[in-house]
Amino acid sequence: MLPYALVTGGSKGIGYAIAAALARRKYNLILVARDHSTLSDAKKKLESSYSIHVEVLSYDLSLEDSAGKIAQWCTDKDVKLEMLCNAGGVGGEKDFLSLPLESLRHMVNLNIGSCMSMTLLLLPLLEKNAPSYILNVSSLAGFAPIPSKNMYSATKSAVIYFSYGLRSQLKKKNISVSCLAPGPVFTKPSIEAVTKKKMGWFGMQMAVPPEEVGEIAVRKTLEKKMIIIPGMLARISAAVIRILPRTWVTNIYGHADKSLE
Amino acid sequence: MKTLLSLVIALCLIGKAIAQMDEPIVASDSLEIGSNPSNVKDSLPYAMVAGGSKGIGYAIALALAKRNYNLILIARGYDSLVAAKNKLEALYPIHVEILSYDLAKEESAPAIAKWCIARNIRLKVLCNVAGLGGEKDYLTLPLDSLRYMVNLNVESCMAMSLLLLPLLEKNTPSYILNVASMAGFAPIPAKNMYSATKAAVIYFSYGLRKQLKKKKISVSCLTPGPVFTKPQIKKVTKEKLGWFGMQMAVPPKKVGEKAVKKTLKKKMIIIPGTLAKISSTVIRTLPKRWMVGLYGD
Repeated sequence: MLPYALVTGGSKGIGYAIAAALARRKYNLILVARDHSTLSDAKKKLESSYSIHVEVLSYDLSLEDSAGKIAQWCTDKDVKLEMLCNAGGVGGEKDFLSLPLESLRHMVNLNIGSCMSMTLLLLPLLEKNAPSYILNVSSLAGFAPIPSKNMYSATKSAVIYFSYGLRSQLKKKNISVSCLAPGPVFTKPSIEAVTKKKMGWFGMQMAVPPEEVGEIAVRKTLEKKMIIIPGMLARISAAVIRILPRTWVTNIYGHADKSLE
Repeated sequence: MKTLLSLVIALCLIGKAIAQMDEPIVASDSLEIGSNPSNVKDSLPYAMVAGGSKGIGYAIALALAKRNYNLILIARGYDSLVAAKNKLEALYPIHVEILSYDLAKEESAPAIAKWCIARNIRLKVLCNVAGLGGEKDYLTLPLDSLRYMVNLNVESCMAMSLLLLPLLEKNTPSYILNVASMAGFAPIPAKNMYSATKAAVIYFSYGLRKQLKKKKISVSCLTPGPVFTKPQIKKVTKEKLGWFGMQMAVPPKKVGEKAVKKTLKKKMIIIPGTLAKISSTVIRTLPKRWMVGLYGD
């Protein structure tokens, strides 16, 4: 019997790429996303390419009761869960100042709340099937505050901190925690356009295709790496960003933001 | 790791020595009853303190009152709000308005903002102090507390800032003070969630400061070390950080005074106490995984 991996936000983008990389390694999948039709598309594609089962659960993870229901479903079926990937998240093209209040709440609940509650509620199953893995998806934006992506940056930094702490807490339980912090990944045309405008040639060079991000993320998660940054240039940039004082980095980002105005 | 720890301690001892030379901050509690007649009171600017009835929030309110700000205090418990109002109004010639709301609830921030906008409050300072501490480990926390902490520590701070921005913009130069913690500088495994939420507050403050600079709204972030606002915190600090932690602790009143002084001076990161300041610099410079190792479980 193949082990299971649960991927939130697994129907599209980085989540789907992670799911594909897991399928290649013979994991059965549980994909969670809001939209049922993209979920069934993903299921069809994955099941036709690989000899695995794909279960799909359609939930809005920003709602408080979703994590509880998903965990209940898994526990009832006593799923052999060996990996949890928290890839469900909302991006930050919009500035905090121009965001309506509901989007703000949606982002906090989805990016931070759902990641923490999914982890907490699925821990019993992961513990039972140890050695097991948790992969939280954050972003390079979580290493230093980006003014124009203010909230996004803040929520992603919380995910990084949470992952560090959790890794230390779960080590003795034989559960490895990793955190994916990619630079630009063109999962949507709008991301490509914004990256080109803001970061120019450099940003375009730093970008890594989604498939490669998924592949590296899964490989390194299984190797029990903590911080996973796909792409050499992104890795170097991350090292620089993390060493420089935050005020400097914020100002540098601030300059890049001006090119958008 | 041991050598590292002793290095940190050595640095901190030096810091302590410097601390003694530091200017003494006496939050003067002198009961000089002001002689402002009520029409003068009416013309004073307002400062809002979320979580202003107790602890650091009350200390911040006190420091603002001393500087002749009228206050709007927000907290859950009505009785502690009334007690705070009575104390502050007896000490200083100001108005204190109190609003009893649970800021973790979605409807609170809009209701508070609506109240202020309807009265066209001359709001010059917004202090987001309300937050839930992290004595409990993430792994032993029930789901409700987890949600509550995220909503209160992260979301309420963002929502209040967003919704009160129009008033702050109208009354520039104005100030936003978000209260985070030293725990937001590096992940503490035993205070996992708390650390994560406070990191979000720090990041948010950095970004917001940059965004609001041209609007003449200054954003600051208070990141204190241990502050003994409850006997329990003192106990835990003594157990976990020992002598060193006790040395690093700063009384609430001093924290409030420093926070307000530096906020009005438009400082970004505010860390009361020299020892805490030095520790923070060390914490921020060291790689996060070392810090996780140092903090241990």
